Amino acid sequence: MWLWYSWQSAAVVNDDGDVLDIEFNNARFSVHAAKDRLQLVANGHMPPEAVVLSERFPDAKPTAHGSDELPDFDLPQPTDDQIEIADQAALLLAKEGVAVSAADPNRRLEHLLRASEELRTLHLTMEARLIEWVGLFLPSARFDSNRSQVASQVQDVDSLSEFAALLDVEDAYEQPSEPEWKALHDWAEMVSNQGRQLDRLEHAIRLSAQNHLPSTSMLVGPLLAARLCVEAHGRSRLARLPSGTVQVLGAEKAFFSHLRSGTAPPKHGHIFMHPWISRSPRWVRGKIARMLASKISIAARIDAFEGTPLTKEDVDQVEARVEAIRKEFSKPPGR
Amino acid sequence: MAKNRRMRPLSDSVLMEGRNVWTVNANPGVAVRGESLRKFRGVEHRRWDPNRSKLGAGILRTRNNPSDLLPRPGSTVLYLGAGHGTTVSHLHDHLCGTSNRHRGRLVAVDLAPRCLRDLTHLAETRKGLVPVLGDARKFDAWGVLIPSRVDWLFQDVAQAGQVEIFLSAVRRFLSKDGIGLLSLKAASERHQDGGDADIFAAAIEQLSDEVELIEHINLTGFEDQHALFVIRRR
Repeated sequence: MWLWYSWQSAAVVNDDGDVLDIEFNNARFSVHAAKDRLQLVANGHMPPEAVVLSERFPDAKPTAHGSDELPDFDLPQPTDDQIEIADQAALLLAKEGVAVSAADPNRRLEHLLRASEELRTLHLTMEARLIEWVGLFLPSARFDSNRSQVASQVQDVDSLSEFAALLDVEDAYEQPSEPEWKALHDWAEMVSNQGRQLDRLEHAIRLSAQNHLPSTSMLVGPLLAARLCVEAHGRSRLARLPSGTVQVLGAEKAFFSHLRSGTAPPKHGHIFMHPWISRSPRWVRGKIARMLASKISIAARIDAFEGTPLTKEDVDQVEARVEAIRKEFSKPPGR
Repeated sequence: MAKNRRMRPLSDSVLMEGRNVWTVNANPGVAVRGESLRKFRGVEHRRWDPNRSKLGAGILRTRNNPSDLLPRPGSTVLYLGAGHGTTVSHLHDHLCGTSNRHRGRLVAVDLAPRCLRDLTHLAETRKGLVPVLGDARKFDAWGVLIPSRVDWLFQDVAQAGQVEIFLSAVRRFLSKDGIGLLSLKAASERHQDGGDADIFAAAIEQLSDEVELIEHINLTGFEDQHALFVIRRR
């Protein structure tokens, strides 16, 4: 015996397809009422009509509309009105689902991270142009040590001569025209603002990552944690990845070149950013990367299942392992 | 220029003009994805770009009557894996028309909220289009929107096990003698030694076991590594 149900009606059917009882609601539903019922069914619950029947026929097996287990029988059809209301409700439900998708921290983190990547690239290009531009007029100036301050310094002065005086170098032999200086000044202003914007973006990424990935952030820092999460297409996927994949995440080019043409496999991807690896001697980086990747996998799983986050002591233990590896292999391997 | 080309109507709203397919724009003046708009006999048509729509490509490639690939205007159809709605919009032109004058229903399911964002915008101006945010495999979640079996079903989901998903959808939603179209992306299936040809051959075998395979349309050139299978439910 089956208890068939749709969003506004239900019926009890025996194995031969005979309808034993039926609850058909031919009411004119409001769009919101229909939406609530569609949502109810989507979440695996029964509409009130089916609940009534299940009390009358406790043995009937509740089965949602359309299942191929059901025997063939004359389905009670919804009225045209009801179909139209259900369609409007479905549209409402879809809109709600789309709106709610903004709650997904993975998506938000991805925008933040990609935005900061794009801005950083732009910033470096524009900063390089600014320094070349100013250097054209002031050939005796040297910017090697304070590249990042040039933008704000230019922004704060009113003329190139003033800037030359600030740097204590010879004034320009050839002066830019007034509009040319304005353009250069605007450029410097933009570069200097980008620096601030980048700080703001990174601050947002840090907060978001510490919230979303507390353990991974504790272990390798929020920025790297965020990068790994985005690169893995989300926290739950990062948790499912084998740690060998985490180790080379971000080194896809080298990895697939290795698979295709047998070049040396990459030892590390994004995790190279971490000083435990980038500040270690070349010959232990692979070993540390492998160990660290496995710890990141554990941390990511703690995050994904919202367990007790790693503490400073846990991280200290990992650091001790890093030190141990560095010590054990303090000499480069012989040839 | 247009006079020299062979004009061939596939339905009230679908027109084949040489190697171009056009549908009567149900939302006049608006191009959904920047496709060209052109008037034929005073009626605005939208070009159905075969490079962006596998159904559009199938219509050009089929060896049978292309209008057999389309559903009956005014019927209820199910579209799994609706994407951003390019194909869906042309299908809507054919199935529903302006203000749904044919009284069709196009239930379009997709999993990605980003796609649904575009589909809900489309549904605002195109009556009869019912976007559903849901997993194409989880029939119980949205199956109640299809009160009786449909005569036409399309599936374009890029995930492993496309044929199984298609067959279970056919079992559950397609009426006897109904037409089902499966757009199969070889790259989404697990790798096989024989490459794409083997994946397609395996799909043909699996489909033929259960349904009548009408045609296997190779989409190479429009959409690489893709094929369109046309079946009829026995």
